[in-house]
Amino acid sequence: MATEHTPSIPPEPATPPESILDMGSRRLQLRRRLRHFYDRAAKIAIAVGGIAVIVAILAIFLYLFYEVVPLFESARVDAAATYELPADDGSTTLHLAIEEQSEIGLRLGQSGQMQFFQLRDGTPVVNVALALPEGTRITSFAIDTEESGIFAVGLDSGEVLVASYDYTTSYAQSNNARTLTPVVDYPFGADPYRLFDNQAVTTIALRSRSGNLLLAGSNGQGQAALLRASKQSNLFAAFNGDSGAASFDIVKTTVPMLVTGTTRMFIEGDQRWLFFVSGNGLIRVLDMRAALNNQAEQFEIETFLTENGARPTRIAFLLGGISLLVADSTGVVSQWFLIRDGQQTRLERARFFPSFDSAVATLAPEQRRKNFVAADANGSVAIFNSTAHREVFKQALLTSTPGAMAISPRGDALLIETTEGMFHYWEVHNEHPEVSWTALWDKVWYEGYSEPEYIWQSSAATNEFEPKYSLVPLSFGTLKAAFYAMLLAAPLAICGAVFTGYFMAPRMRRKVKPLIELMEALPTVVLGFLAGLWLAPFVERNLLGIFNILFVLPLSILLASYLWLRLPSDWRHRVPEGWEAGILIPMVLLFGYLSFVLAAPIENLFFAGDLRYFISNDLGITYDQRNALVVGFAMGFAVIPTIFSIAEDAIFTVPKHLTYGSLALGATPWQSLYRVVLPTASPGIFSALMIGMGRAVGETMIVLMATGNTPIMDVNIFEGMRTLAANIAVEIPESEVDSTHYRILFLAALVLFLFTFVFNTVAEIVRQRLRNKYSTI
Amino acid sequence: MNERNNKLEVEEKPAMRKIDVSSVLRQASTPEDEMASCLEVENLNLFYSRTKQALIDISLTIPKQCVTAFIGPSGCGKSSLLRCFNRMNDLVDDCVIEGKIILDGLDIYEKSIDVADLRRRVGMVFQKPNPFPKSIYENVAYGLRIQGINSKRVLDEVVERSLRSAALWDEVKDRLHDSALGMSGGQQQRLVIARTIAVEPEVLLLDEPASALDPISTLKIEELINDLKEDYTIVIVTHNMQQAARVSDFTAFMYMGNMVEFNTTDTIFTNPAEKQTEDYITGRYG
Repeated sequence: MATEHTPSIPPEPATPPESILDMGSRRLQLRRRLRHFYDRAAKIAIAVGGIAVIVAILAIFLYLFYEVVPLFESARVDAAATYELPADDGSTTLHLAIEEQSEIGLRLGQSGQMQFFQLRDGTPVVNVALALPEGTRITSFAIDTEESGIFAVGLDSGEVLVASYDYTTSYAQSNNARTLTPVVDYPFGADPYRLFDNQAVTTIALRSRSGNLLLAGSNGQGQAALLRASKQSNLFAAFNGDSGAASFDIVKTTVPMLVTGTTRMFIEGDQRWLFFVSGNGLIRVLDMRAALNNQAEQFEIETFLTENGARPTRIAFLLGGISLLVADSTGVVSQWFLIRDGQQTRLERARFFPSFDSAVATLAPEQRRKNFVAADANGSVAIFNSTAHREVFKQALLTSTPGAMAISPRGDALLIETTEGMFHYWEVHNEHPEVSWTALWDKVWYEGYSEPEYIWQSSAATNEFEPKYSLVPLSFGTLKAAFYAMLLAAPLAICGAVFTGYFMAPRMRRKVKPLIELMEALPTVVLGFLAGLWLAPFVERNLLGIFNILFVLPLSILLASYLWLRLPSDWRHRVPEGWEAGILIPMVLLFGYLSFVLAAPIENLFFAGDLRYFISNDLGITYDQRNALVVGFAMGFAVIPTIFSIAEDAIFTVPKHLTYGSLALGATPWQSLYRVVLPTASPGIFSALMIGMGRAVGETMIVLMATGNTPIMDVNIFEGMRTLAANIAVEIPESEVDSTHYRILFLAALVLFLFTFVFNTVAEIVRQRLRNKYSTI
Repeated sequence: MNERNNKLEVEEKPAMRKIDVSSVLRQASTPEDEMASCLEVENLNLFYSRTKQALIDISLTIPKQCVTAFIGPSGCGKSSLLRCFNRMNDLVDDCVIEGKIILDGLDIYEKSIDVADLRRRVGMVFQKPNPFPKSIYENVAYGLRIQGINSKRVLDEVVERSLRSAALWDEVKDRLHDSALGMSGGQQQRLVIARTIAVEPEVLLLDEPASALDPISTLKIEELINDLKEDYTIVIVTHNMQQAARVSDFTAFMYMGNMVEFNTTDTIFTNPAEKQTEDYITGRYG
């Protein structure tokens, strides 16, 4: 109580001393109440602040989680309508389709009638009859892609009619209401192409791209006709043309069928390979381009698409025309594609989905994603994503056998016609089918790749592209960057901290420590900028000089200290104790300079004048200009102050009486250092390393600017990497909000968060254990 | 040494095998010069920074195998003087020492002196117990390990003997591998003494060894000092005059950096030559 602020008390007559202080005065009571209030206020403010920090971190975590969770949700399918088409002509359905807005459906019947109807209730919109030649009948059907709407019907006369459907949108003047009008067109001429003379075209395949048409048809008698029609830009070509305003160059040839029996034919997306599939699943491949150019057939592939005697029931191309989806009579859907392996080309089954108990009755690939829908004979419907190898949805939606099926371009509407002629329409909610644990963390066999791989490639120029969302290369890149940064930073920072905290004269330490901590204030964007634009080319030009420095500097420091000990003691005593480090500065500068000067003759002597060239050409090691070495320097530079500062504090705060106790027992300063000081400071040193590691893992700007951002997985120090943090920075501006890509970037953020969380937690646990072991008095 | 061991063996049944560590560590002192001098201080001046002189022209002779106490008010330089004996003052920035301190005929401030070895020979116990954050065993073995002695047999023997000498063995023999930080303050201080005598020093410097301890621990430390003086030359700094009277054979009274009086403890406490000494020990100031 005596230490209480003494208020100015009016001088009173000299009475006994206790009367001078009136501890019960109102003024002092008020002060005490005020003091109490301040104490409480401070306590509350600190508690609120602390809780707010925790709440903020939790909120960030929850928000990331909230953005990520939809990725792993299953698809939902809501029944919307069931109806019969009133004007059904009773013929077999060849094709079902849904238009972009999911407003209009299309049914193409065997009779050649194209019925456009309102999807929600089956009300007819318009009926269009295909312009079939008089007295012919449709015997086969093939569609290029639903996106293009170009299809072909084979006729019993041996002719093929190519047509297309599309929709035009118009808006009413009065209420701005949208009207969709179906349009049926004949982009390759209204006249049919003749493949055979008076033999029905039993099987047909077609591909079309930018005004070119490829047709393949079979007459059911062991002959296949191939036809290529290219739009003629030459005026004179009109003389060669068959008919019409537009004229086409036509090349036609006939080849024997490669398989026998009931045959299906498919033309691959790049318009080269023609697949023949027999009724029992035997597939053979023809080089169609070579055949049309009258070159020898050189391509031999022969394999069975199904196992255990199953027959293929439905076959379709997945989006992009690369993968063949084969649904069979045992309920398995498998994905096949051609792989070019050097000179060899082979057909491989990448994955399969054994989802159904009974034969797959119908199969429909989605038009914009690597999704497909399949339904079995019992009415079970399932939605799959091929890349993620994921069954997104499966349910017994029907009680009868499905016939034809269509999925809308946006993947949000599903239409199935049962064999009884009922149309069932569902709304589909399937936002993120591309994501699964496998797709993110396992090797995935992407289309066209010769084996499963870890790949991050989120976008490409075409819509048919298969997005590759493996987080493994990014996580690997993150750890690689952090590893190389720590490789440089950890020894330098810790040795520096040991010297500064233990050996250095206090006055020098007071200058050195703030100076190094000032390094931390350097914006990392500046560091990254320097690393990417100055250091990376510099390292490339002076590669040997850099390596020289790594060897020469430590050696020169050892040499300097040895020479120092050999100096006459008079000289030595001119430098005050703890200031010896100062004389290293000219040494380091001198030897650093020499390393670069001597690099050129050494390169000439051993590496034919250019180490960089030697590494790439003689050793066969890839060298990127922006590589892990550059990142190691730049990010190492960025984390050195963090590690140094914390480690130095830990070493400096080891109680002096422990050091003295050790010295007083006859230990040398070195012995005291590594037997007493370092173990006692080890918790702090360890957390310094972990915090430095956490910083290196989360660092963005340096790796963004100095790594080249190539998401490759290679420990090679001369190659770049892409880290999670840099990836988020690069891609989030270009990703569509709430798209799968967007949410995966959030997932990457969550992974990054977990990385640092795990690092910090491990650091804290180890630190606590070490602290218990080495707790000071 | 023999005598002390015998005394302990009466208390402890298992007979200790004597091992000859002394030949490794300790330069044998001739038994003849029993009351010979151990440390001789000649005209010692000590400056902290250029202006502040902490010790002024100190000269005295510390007798062998006796307890010498330094008393005096705070800041009189008694701890500074003590730290000169094992050159702990070297660790203080800007500390300048003039004069000589002779140990075994050699000036310990000679350039050729190995400071680490000097400190092994002149052990020191600090005011605040400072066991290392290691096990009890490792604390005692520390001094040997830094000398490069790692033989488990030797270490076991020395640890046991040192702990016995420090009257700590019975209390800790079942938990030798527990952390030393779990011990009480008094135990820690005795552990530090055991740690110091494990390397068999010639001189034991005690810098207010009991000032941070409770009366019972203090008593144990004092008994220990009494036991140890048969083998070691002990120099103790203390604030507590009763303690000085109880444990020491010789007492030096210091004041303001000067050695005021140095004599046998009996003389100092019963018949001091100087008025300042008398004032101090009778409690008139200090």
